[in-house]
Amino acid sequence: MIKHLCGTLVLFAMVGCASDPAPIEQLRLTEQALNQARSLGASDLTLAEQKLAAAEAAMKGEHYREARLQAEQAELDARLAEARVLNDKSQQELAELHRRIARLREQLGALQ
Amino acid sequence: MKPVYLIPALLVALGALPGCATLESQQQLEDAAMTFQSISEVPQILQDAPKDVMRAGESLERAKRFAGYWGSAEDVIHYAYLSKRYSEIARQHSEQLQNQRRATQLSMELERLRQAVQEARMLDMQHQGRWLEDQMVSLAAAETDRGLVMTLGDVLFRAASAELGASANRTLLKIVHFLQLNPKRRVRIEGYTDNRGDAAENLALSKARAQTVGDFMQSLGIDAGRIEVVGYGEQHRVAENASARGRAQNRRVEILFSDEQGRLSSPR
Repeated sequence: MIKHLCGTLVLFAMVGCASDPAPIEQLRLTEQALNQARSLGASDLTLAEQKLAAAEAAMKGEHYREARLQAEQAELDARLAEARVLNDKSQQELAELHRRIARLREQLGALQ
Repeated sequence: MKPVYLIPALLVALGALPGCATLESQQQLEDAAMTFQSISEVPQILQDAPKDVMRAGESLERAKRFAGYWGSAEDVIHYAYLSKRYSEIARQHSEQLQNQRRATQLSMELERLRQAVQEARMLDMQHQGRWLEDQMVSLAAAETDRGLVMTLGDVLFRAASAELGASANRTLLKIVHFLQLNPKRRVRIEGYTDNRGDAAENLALSKARAQTVGDFMQSLGIDAGRIEVVGYGEQHRVAENASARGRAQNRRVEILFSDEQGRLSSPR
């Protein structure tokens, strides 16, 4: 029984290693996401950049699983940063519209 | 017999191991589940960002599946992290879309207001034009047989000079404004003096004063074609030249307004 269990665990561990090919596509995706976020003016990209650097370092050491995990997280960090920037912009746009409407209302009030 | 005892012991150990070693992963999993619940409860987010919500759910499921395996705390933490990120992206995305929809509504309101302000301004201008006309008739201008005449007194000029004093500007600005609001109307500016001094000099002074007023109006954008300038010198006095008061009244510039079609009465 114990033997059997150990065998399963070893198998598990091996599967874990063997099933991790080099995450080339994921790294490409991550870089793309980062570039897009950057081009939209996202400022808080430190986390994503750090993780991408870690992923690239792990790739060099052929630690593909670690590379994939870091790259996947970095991609979503970048996408979230991008979503936040877009949201901020839409909020600023709203504030500007409110400001202009208030000013027109004031003018209208002064005229009537 | 022995192995039978061992199984529950092992199971306990297996159960305890992930529990101990992965207190963090358990915490992350709960966090991710709560975050996911908080966004999947909002119909607007589901509608605005269905893909991100779906991915958040899938990642959460993965994290939960890994939580059932021994030694996979790292995967649990990883997928819980991804799930939370997707949830947050979904929330941001939905907020952004809602802001955009609101912005579209506000833009329409802005446009309506802009038009309303424009209309109100037009009304206000017309109103002011009428007011100004009323004021000119009631205050300074007199309806004569030659038409509407406004008299600029001697005090508007520096003594024996054609230069305008500062107090003239306000009065002339009103006239310019009136002409701007009534683009068809024309004016004849007529200069007059008293009878002291040389008649030819007085004629030149009266012409120069009238010209100064005309130039001032032109400088403020009134077309030269709408302005006639005449100097009459000592002629056409309105009071006796015997007294200082009478002479002051005779030193004047009169502005004669045309009718609304731009017709001026013929010069004297």
